[in-house]
Amino acid sequence: MRFNLAKLTSQERRFRPLTWDVIIIVLLVVLLITGSLINPAFLTAFNFSLMLPNIGEILLIAMPMTLLIIAGEIDLSVASIVGLSGVIFGLTYQNGLNVWIAALLGVIVGVLCGAVNGILVARIGLGSLAVTIATLALYRGFATAAMGNKSVTDFPESWTNFGYSTIGDTFLPQTYPIIILFVLIFGVLTHLSIFGRRTFAIGQNVEAARFAAISVLNHKIVLFMLTGAMSGVAGVIYVLRISTAQYDNAMGLELSVIATALLGGVSIFGGVGTIWGVAAAAVLFGSLEALFNLQAISPNIFTIVTGSLLIGSVMIPLLLGRINFMRIERARMSKSEEGQL
Amino acid sequence: MEAGSPVDDQAKALFGRTIFEIRGAYKHFGGAIALNYADFTLKSGEIHALLGENGAGKSTLLKVLAGVHTLEAGTIALDGKTFIQGSPRMAMLQGVTVIYQEPSLFPDLTLTENVYIGRQLRSKTGINWAEMKSQTKSLFEELGVNLEPSRLARGLSIADQQVVEIAKALSLDARIILMDEPTAALTKSEVNRLMLVMRRLQEKGKSVVFVSHRLDEVFAICDQITVMRDGATVAQAKVSDTSINEVIKWMVGRELKDLFPKMESTIGEVVLEVEGLSSTSEFADITLNVRRGEIVALAGLVGSGRSEVARAIFGIDPYDSGTVKLKGKILPGGKPAVSVESGLALVPEDRRQQGLFMTASVSRNIAMEMLNKLARSGLISQRSEHSLTQEWGKKLQIKYPNPKAPVDQLSGGNQQKTVLAKWFATNPDVLIVDEPTRGIDVQTKAEFHRQLSQAAASGKAILMISSELPEVLGMADRIYVMHEGRLVKELSRQEATQELIMTSATGQGGGA
Amino acid sequence: MSQKIPSLQSDNFKLKSKELVRSRESGILLVLILVSVATTLINPRFISGYGLSDLLLNTAMIGCLAVGLTPVVIARHIDLSIASATGFSAFLTAHIIVGQGWGVIPAFFVGACVGAVIGAVNGVLIAGLRLPSLVVTLGTLYIIRGIDYQFANNKQFTAEKLPTELVDLAQDKIFGVPILFCLVLLLALFGVWWMKFTRFGRDLYTIGSNPQAAEIVGIKVFSRTLFAFVWCGTLAGIAGVMYLSIYAIVDSSAFLNQELIVVTAVVIGGVNIFGGVGTIVGALLGAVLLRVLIGALVALGVAQFWQQAINGLLLLIAIGIDRFLSRRSETKIERIRAEKKVQTP
Repeated sequence: MRFNLAKLTSQERRFRPLTWDVIIIVLLVVLLITGSLINPAFLTAFNFSLMLPNIGEILLIAMPMTLLIIAGEIDLSVASIVGLSGVIFGLTYQNGLNVWIAALLGVIVGVLCGAVNGILVARIGLGSLAVTIATLALYRGFATAAMGNKSVTDFPESWTNFGYSTIGDTFLPQTYPIIILFVLIFGVLTHLSIFGRRTFAIGQNVEAARFAAISVLNHKIVLFMLTGAMSGVAGVIYVLRISTAQYDNAMGLELSVIATALLGGVSIFGGVGTIWGVAAAAVLFGSLEALFNLQAISPNIFTIVTGSLLIGSVMIPLLLGRINFMRIERARMSKSEEGQL
Repeated sequence: MEAGSPVDDQAKALFGRTIFEIRGAYKHFGGAIALNYADFTLKSGEIHALLGENGAGKSTLLKVLAGVHTLEAGTIALDGKTFIQGSPRMAMLQGVTVIYQEPSLFPDLTLTENVYIGRQLRSKTGINWAEMKSQTKSLFEELGVNLEPSRLARGLSIADQQVVEIAKALSLDARIILMDEPTAALTKSEVNRLMLVMRRLQEKGKSVVFVSHRLDEVFAICDQITVMRDGATVAQAKVSDTSINEVIKWMVGRELKDLFPKMESTIGEVVLEVEGLSSTSEFADITLNVRRGEIVALAGLVGSGRSEVARAIFGIDPYDSGTVKLKGKILPGGKPAVSVESGLALVPEDRRQQGLFMTASVSRNIAMEMLNKLARSGLISQRSEHSLTQEWGKKLQIKYPNPKAPVDQLSGGNQQKTVLAKWFATNPDVLIVDEPTRGIDVQTKAEFHRQLSQAAASGKAILMISSELPEVLGMADRIYVMHEGRLVKELSRQEATQELIMTSATGQGGGA
Repeated sequence: MSQKIPSLQSDNFKLKSKELVRSRESGILLVLILVSVATTLINPRFISGYGLSDLLLNTAMIGCLAVGLTPVVIARHIDLSIASATGFSAFLTAHIIVGQGWGVIPAFFVGACVGAVIGAVNGVLIAGLRLPSLVVTLGTLYIIRGIDYQFANNKQFTAEKLPTELVDLAQDKIFGVPILFCLVLLLALFGVWWMKFTRFGRDLYTIGSNPQAAEIVGIKVFSRTLFAFVWCGTLAGIAGVMYLSIYAIVDSSAFLNQELIVVTAVVIGGVNIFGGVGTIVGALLGAVLLRVLIGALVALGVAQFWQQAINGLLLLIAIGIDRFLSRRSETKIERIRAEKKVQTP
């Protein structure tokens, strides 16, 4: 019996004894334990205070990205939105605008970019992969054109402190209460809210979603706008963290965000994913990188491990599912034929 | 046999030879028997129609010949030798080609390439496009159609796609060409063209078997017919020896077992009022109404536009003109959410593709339309969802291992019950059900009918689209019959008979 | 009985495939000529002998990658790892040939092999295990980048270390056309023959147009897809050696982050991201167009900063046109099917 990719994946998902997001959480725990055994400095406050800011923006953007991929779309332009929001933030502030308003403008720019993405994909019906590759260049281009080779660096000290320092003596960066709040909000939104339920529906079967009276068009546009908004927030935070607004901020970040989501168990085919898996994946990323730093292992090994984990995240569930599938297939021969009626 | 065919020895070998001989074909799917020891005989150079209602077994028989299914019992002989079943590829190698109702060509490739898919003609230096194109052109000419071989298959009408598939079959030296409801989606002129193409095939000694509901077409073009009913063959006759009326009698001539008693209910005011609804090339000027306590059936052949009307009323598809009124208020077209809010529900035709989220759990599916009610401040309460599932699982007797089980583990009947539960839960005023008991075993069918009856009795208005005449006659207070996108007849429960409905559905009877 | 059956309305719908494709390619060519002419009028130095050959040289790498990526995208897949493969091949080839006294041909051979291995890994995972190509090539992108950096370890190969004939190759010309670009043309020529005149190539179009139906019809999806990725990897490897020749310096950051530019070039050139549509010639033209536009902007004194935005805009226009054209001829059933298509291969 020949296996068909799409059919196989959805059937296998059913038979997977262990979903990848569970595996990732287990891996994280294992990492934290073995890490602390290998190097006592691993679980220290200091190490975390260094590691967490690095994954802050990734975590923020990975949240709405999770919802977007669940709905069957993707957004490669997030890094450019981060850059553009940061540029707008920096430029408006430099030109005398109140820092709060400048930051708000940065976020609004993110929302607008997301809206454009959403309209192009949902309303005009262009594929999201190609569209966001285009807007990746477009938005980055705007940032480049607006900022040129210059940069804005003289932000208020309280703000830059917020960006990179920790809360008092703890290991928690000042940005993290907001980040954690967002993670919780998105967790609730994705798994407990009507909006989240409908997102899963669209990702699982867009035609049935229509028959269920869901407005797929509006829903997708909102998803893209959420992604743009969080990218805008991340853009402002990024600028504050490195105290610089320039055109090439966060270049290449989109790959890390998508890798984090995929590593967190979100299926590229849509309809499957959990926020805790993605959050765990982000923390796993950061911790692994931190551990490698401590052990003076080259960051390149980290990159290799990331790539391998990514491939593993699709390969292992597929193989596990296939083994299980074959076992159960034999017992349900007649039932599967009925499905063809 | 045919006027005008050449009469020499070679030609005699082309015609009249028994090509397919099926005896005692038996096949079941899960609980339902699809083929009940059916017989079928096909001769070479014959245009042969396979007739019967929905579920009579004709599509299954066709699929067995096409290599999609295998028989559990019975024999198939192809030209005297045993026919190897079970693989479409094997069927093709044995000279059988099948053309489905929705042929899927490769839209980005040219017609030439579609005809020669996977086996492009080669010369020493590579693919010989010129030769392929000219061969395809002559194939088209042999079939007598005017198609441009270099055009892309994208955007080709279904009629033209069928012709391309036929050309492909010829190119593969097929001896037998099977067609599953080929004329269902065709216009009159396209049907005429297809009939001429079939004649051309016949001239070449090929056999054509097609499944159809359209009796006037069948009688215009076919030499032989086989009528099936409930999985068995009830008649095999030469077209010249019988009549449309006789065929209709064969198709429906069963005793009506009192399986589907509709309960008495008080008929109230009009709740659904559709006036002059039209959508170009789908349906025109549909005017109907449904009252509280009524079950109104929308009968007709597959492809007559009934599902399109339902989707338009519900708001999934837009329409061009006309109005839909629910409880006296006009429903804006194209807005399913508003329809649901106002008290309308639609149980769609294809439960797997349209009605359910197959990988989601039973409770998620049932709760799909009730999310607003189950949520407190935007968050869905698991407990409320659970109790909703239990409530409706019990009411409709849905058998599932546990509420979190993915719905594709359920049997077809229970899946359909899940769809029904989802919509019943919204307590709609009007419920449209599209082929509610298709592919479901008899017992569950009866349960369904009881549920629908009860719903009507409790004051709901039900519009039921169905191709199963016993169901229509048993359940409906009134019957509208559609034919090729128009409403052609309205019958009351008392005056309706199977023959009357079938006659109108096939376009034989006069106006409403 | 043998009378011609009267033609129906649909028969007259004249959208010949050759017309559509040729119109895309000639469209790009037209834009190319227009832009070049317009720019030369403003800045005569643009089209001077030196300017033109310099342009073609710069296009060689992207052009090579575009030719490599095309079969993959036509088969409804994507390869995000090409840019890292190029950089890695450049570095590894330099490492292997330096000090060996090897010349040009061995260098290209080594580069091609490096690329082919990478392509094979991608191909086995994607075609064999049926893993989604977006995820897999994202993974191999990271893995190759990691290996590259680790391996390079801050080393650097400069012009003196590299074989002189390789470095000089960038200057050589045949009839005024840089020899490296001629190499790309040669590869493209083979590619055109492969995609248009072999069953193998046509199978890729078939797979891209409808993967399930292709399987049913009996097309060898595994071997076709595998080879498409090997081809892509090999050409990325060759592009890496071109890098050595052109830039005469290589460290680990060679060719970073360029993967999306190649995708842009290919889509602008008419290769549809959903598969089944496009030609090698179109992809190459798309790459040339992108380069020409950059050069034109420079010659016109337009700030370089607008380049990226214009790239993005061009891509949007190209996608928009593709969508518009296919919407115009699509039937309702095809539209529903297209929506159900998995969004990323």
